[in-house]
Amino acid sequence: MLRALAVLALLSLGLHANAQQKVIRVWHTETQPNSQEAMRNIAKRFEAKNPGVKVEVEALAWGDLEPRIMSSLAAGSPPELSHGQPITCAALQSKGLLLPLDEVVSAIGEANIWDQVKRVCRVGKSQYGLVHAAGTSLLIYRKDLAQKLGLKPPRTWADLIANAKAFSAQGMAGITIPGDNLFVNILLGELIKANGGVLFDKQNRPQMTSKQMIETLEFIRELTRYAPKGWEGHGYLETFTNLYGQKAAMMYQGYGRGASLIEKGAPKEMANADTFDVWVKPHGPSGKEPAAQVDEEPWMLFKGAKNPKEAIAFLKFFYQKENYLEYIQTVPIHFFPITKSLRADRDYQATPMIQRWKSWIEVQEHYLNKDQGKPTLVVDWEDMNSKPYLMEVLGSGIMRDMVMEVALEGKPAREAAARAQGRLEAMLKPKGYLK
Amino acid sequence: MRRRASGGTGAALVLPALLLLAVLTLYPVAYGIWISLFSKHSFFPEQSFVGLANYLAIAADEEFWRSLRLGLVYSLSTIALQLVLGVAAALILHQSFPGRGLVRALTIFPYVVPTVIAVVIWKWLLNAQFGLVNHALEAAGLIGEPVSWMGHEWIMVSLILVSVWQFFPFVVLAVLARLQTIAPELYEAAKVDGANALRRFIHVTLPQLASVLFVVVLLRSIWMFTKFDTPWLMIQGGGAETYIRTLPVYTYQRTFAWYEAGRGSAMAVIMFLMLVAAAAVYFRLWRREEKL
Repeated sequence: MLRALAVLALLSLGLHANAQQKVIRVWHTETQPNSQEAMRNIAKRFEAKNPGVKVEVEALAWGDLEPRIMSSLAAGSPPELSHGQPITCAALQSKGLLLPLDEVVSAIGEANIWDQVKRVCRVGKSQYGLVHAAGTSLLIYRKDLAQKLGLKPPRTWADLIANAKAFSAQGMAGITIPGDNLFVNILLGELIKANGGVLFDKQNRPQMTSKQMIETLEFIRELTRYAPKGWEGHGYLETFTNLYGQKAAMMYQGYGRGASLIEKGAPKEMANADTFDVWVKPHGPSGKEPAAQVDEEPWMLFKGAKNPKEAIAFLKFFYQKENYLEYIQTVPIHFFPITKSLRADRDYQATPMIQRWKSWIEVQEHYLNKDQGKPTLVVDWEDMNSKPYLMEVLGSGIMRDMVMEVALEGKPAREAAARAQGRLEAMLKPKGYLK
Repeated sequence: MRRRASGGTGAALVLPALLLLAVLTLYPVAYGIWISLFSKHSFFPEQSFVGLANYLAIAADEEFWRSLRLGLVYSLSTIALQLVLGVAAALILHQSFPGRGLVRALTIFPYVVPTVIAVVIWKWLLNAQFGLVNHALEAAGLIGEPVSWMGHEWIMVSLILVSVWQFFPFVVLAVLARLQTIAPELYEAAKVDGANALRRFIHVTLPQLASVLFVVVLLRSIWMFTKFDTPWLMIQGGGAETYIRTLPVYTYQRTFAWYEAGRGSAMAVIMFLMLVAAAAVYFRLWRREEKL
């Protein structure tokens, strides 16, 4: 009897202790095993320094994240911290669901953060989303074959098509692009920007029937003639398989993360930047400069979270050199540090993979320095705050349907564009976005 | 007095079941119908009453009709193929041969595999570059170049194949159960009358299977028409989504990607009404069968 009472007392003490413990729930989208391990290590170190605080880190696939964030918000139990698309961050901020991360910015030193990064999810002087790492989309190509064929870096879309044609004469597809909704939207956002156009005007009216969009659709139709048959069914990873499996010579929507895939999948003698290099992307007939997509998901701190103070402390800890470097080095060609100090740091520079794929880093720096990279569907930084509906536009798949109608079904670009224009207007009007 | 007491006891005993039904079935259905009259965000407390506007918008939405058409193509094709394959397999499994028990168990295997696993496995098999299906077809000289099974020309065929593979065992089970109850005397009499195997199938087996086939067709029609997981999983991570966007998939997208809970609910209500109509036919046939 006494023993039972003692066990009960101990249990209740334990429960009491658990009740005292503060939990920081962290959702992130870096599902690679080494990135997950780095996050777990950082969490453990933070817990060791902060008794009574537990960090529950969970890696989620992109497709699972947004519905989970939304349903947790609807249920009134959001996590403390989560990654998210920049346009998701903007949409949630516009609904007053996020807390500012200014304290974290101050701890890092505002001047120490790259200006380009600070434009993501910033309203006024407050930072509502803080990018975990930056990277840009890349036009990857077979350097060895290009040299053999005497091909030059494409400056215009016409040059790119000429290169694709020349490559395709080598018995492989000239170019490979993913066909899933997210990547087609990314592609369209990049291309319209590179062609001097916009997706939505200042009154939020869709611009699908603009001259720039029609030219863009015609370009996609022409370009996909040199893509592998059935490209529309290929996901992102399959396009990389096409590239390192020597079934395609260029990849339009590549990312630095792919360098690891090449090192793993390509024959050993080919797994290097002398075989797979990157070109700066070309611009369209109505555009003047290239455009890329920046893959820079911000950390978001949710208003309804139980332990926001502890979450801020965790983020400050995350960006400290030892922790941040460990995280960055898990995908070094894709994760650009957001701090100038770490980019200039010797330990970071000495990362072996950065040494091996230097040209890939340089092209990404080119886009970031010249501000030629924007988040998905964001053509101008102002869009981040003035177009909170971009998340719905992306999810709707309307623009993907338009691209597929032109590229696969042979519909005239004007006809497909007019249909998409009508569908987008019908979507935005009842939601009160059309001014 | 006694009658009233037993009536009260009966009502009390039925009450928990009625409450459960009301809470778990009637309330969600009624709430779904109610929400369909609103313009409502799927996650945020933003809503306004719009009456029948969602239904009118659906009637004018060409994507709705397209998804309905794709859904009908998908469900009708899969049902027809499941029936043919299921009946054929059941007839074979009804025969005596060594290892029949094992073969029967293996036949049911696709039906017990979780859908997510079945689709992942099939997507590997059908992969245009390293899939076994293309490899086998090329080795057999049936195709000259790899078929892009997840491309827009073939993805509906792939979806139908995967679904037929997964669900035909249900037909096998139902038909095999009925076959085992057909009196052998009927076949013996037909043999005496000089009927060959085909005639015995047409004049003995099929009429005996008619009732079970009616039920199977109705159940499978309802299930295939509302099938969400298989097409949804087929388009994840690459797949020509536009070309297999059936009505359940489109309803899901409207609700959780466009964040239009009201519109999504209205589409769900329309699907529900279609199913009610199908269920009414089902019960009518079932009652007639019972009377017989």
